[in-house]
Amino acid sequence: MKIKKEELIERLRELSRSGYNYLVKITAVDYIDHLEVIYFIRNMQNKKEENVRLDLKNGESLPTVIEIYKSADYYERELSEMFGIAIEGRDVKRLLIEKWDGLEAPLRKNFQWGSEYKSG
Amino acid sequence: MNDERFENAKREMEQLVVDSLKNYKAPVGAFFTNLKEATRAIASGTIRWSRKNSLWPMQFGLACCAMELLDFGSSRIDAERKGYLLFRGTPRQCDVMIVAGWVTKAVAPEVKRLYEQMAKPRYVIAYGECAVSGGPWWESYNIIKGIDQIIPVDVYVVGCPPKPENLFEALMKLQEKVGGKVED
Amino acid sequence: MLTRINVGPIHPSTHGVLRLVVTLDGDTIVDVEPHIGFLHRGVEKLAENRMYMQSESYMEKIDYVAPMAYSDLYVAAVEEAMGIHPKERAKYVRLILLEFQRIASHLLWLGAFCNDLGQIFTMFMWTMKDRDLILNLLQDVTGSRMFYVNMRLGGVSIDLPPNFEEHANKLLDYLEKRFKDYETFLEKNPVFIERTKDVGILKREDAIALGVTGPVLRASGVNFDVRRDYAYYVYEKLHFIPQVQTKGDSFARYKVRMREMKESIKLIRDALKLMPEGDALGMPIKLISPPVKESEVIVRRELPRGEGMIFMVTDKQRPYRLAIRAPSFINLSALRYIAKGARYADLFSILGSLDLVMADVDR
Repeated sequence: MKIKKEELIERLRELSRSGYNYLVKITAVDYIDHLEVIYFIRNMQNKKEENVRLDLKNGESLPTVIEIYKSADYYERELSEMFGIAIEGRDVKRLLIEKWDGLEAPLRKNFQWGSEYKSG
Repeated sequence: MNDERFENAKREMEQLVVDSLKNYKAPVGAFFTNLKEATRAIASGTIRWSRKNSLWPMQFGLACCAMELLDFGSSRIDAERKGYLLFRGTPRQCDVMIVAGWVTKAVAPEVKRLYEQMAKPRYVIAYGECAVSGGPWWESYNIIKGIDQIIPVDVYVVGCPPKPENLFEALMKLQEKVGGKVED
Repeated sequence: MLTRINVGPIHPSTHGVLRLVVTLDGDTIVDVEPHIGFLHRGVEKLAENRMYMQSESYMEKIDYVAPMAYSDLYVAAVEEAMGIHPKERAKYVRLILLEFQRIASHLLWLGAFCNDLGQIFTMFMWTMKDRDLILNLLQDVTGSRMFYVNMRLGGVSIDLPPNFEEHANKLLDYLEKRFKDYETFLEKNPVFIERTKDVGILKREDAIALGVTGPVLRASGVNFDVRRDYAYYVYEKLHFIPQVQTKGDSFARYKVRMREMKESIKLIRDALKLMPEGDALGMPIKLISPPVKESEVIVRRELPRGEGMIFMVTDKQRPYRLAIRAPSFINLSALRYIAKGARYADLFSILGSLDLVMADVDR
């Protein structure tokens, strides 16, 4: 289902109360003028899955869902590091590439191969 | 080239042999020149024989090649029968460092520090393609392309992953470099 | 007074490269903070530069203890993108090889777990010998000990040799005897029981909220297994039963994996009897592959460490985006909650029972 960024938290809270209480993965796809963020959630009683999608323009930030799903911590940290998305609501530290200041987001399509030789 | 490191040991061993023959009455000139060369040969040969037959490796298995290192130490291909026993975790007690697995920019300072903490004489074996030249991750943004950009390497073992019998042959070649020909 | 200890990146065990900063109050753990990323090489970015069948050997090196499971996951995703179905006999062949791979992976876990608990190298030598016998059998079938690359579109690369059935049955009889030996060795041992019972308890609601998978989830009482709920290949015909325990401590996680090994033996025996004759070969690897029909693909499999998922957005000849869900990544993030309030010596019993492979965490 495709929703807008403003209704993200209420929609996820409503879904998690109606039984979809297991978060499988948060990931993103880079279409060059905008990003698409996808949340995969699952209902443990009747084993159904649902994916919630939203569009982000370049430079926008994403609200955090850690009060609803506790397992979103590592996924959001990896997303902010690989795609350059800022997470509002809490302080995220880098996860996978720790000591590398000045690195641009590696998984975007305009990552310059060879930029790793300039920094760190 | 190796001789100047062992001047003290050679001098002491020569002194031992000379002292033990003090009570022996023998003609002076010809015997003593032969004895000096004989003790030098015995001393350096003993030291070289003992150093080459007990190389203690330090395990440094980072990734998939570490699975073959585990097989190398277990009961099918026994590493202990040739003297490569006691895979230690600390570098102060080891001679050989076997680097197995790909090295990223975050681990590279640790590799260099562990190499400098080993006591001389020390040797390095690069095991597997990722340690030789970067391997299949050659285009990645986080990989050091071969560990001979950080530390000096003695033997390169090629394969992905190389079989544990290849590591045996590499250690026997290292034995030749350390102390002379390998006896069967 | 709080003290901080650094459990540094190089472990004397097989977990890999992981750094833990532990905050202690006397002997009780207050906080554990893992630092990861020592093995990160960007597999998801590398796969965007390769044709479809060129990155099968990249996928195997993600989890190097059970490589065939990841390779099967990726090839199934590509097959679904192109609309190809595997042949009937090929489904049975893939199931048999995957279950052998699961037994080999759990045997290595058992040896490394007992290493961490202090029985230095006894159980390790025994389980490595059994794992070597399984790897020899797989070498007879596929030609290589560790990285097989034998999954093709629509089947496998080489069919089973003609005398495979009697070799496999002999090996399975031998393994059943050895599993009985392992159980008598460990389950009446007072040191093992004291170090694993009531250590690291994870309750049912916490397990679902933290998102853990695999044997860790099943040991806390949640009855979920991909082989039964989103069934693939022929698991429905073979009457597969997931193994569940309710306590949630380290002993329950050990028990789930022991029972899974015995269940795998039963599945292999039944599959060998029901396998039809015919052809199991798939397409050979070509650089220009058949045309792609779907634009987005989701595939799930039950890897030995948990549930793995691939989400792929396809382009004409290469994937546009390949997203991998690795089970060890999310199991490691639960360590912080499980280890709160435990003693320092129990940290390694908990860490060993989660069954992590660090190249799977970092990808």
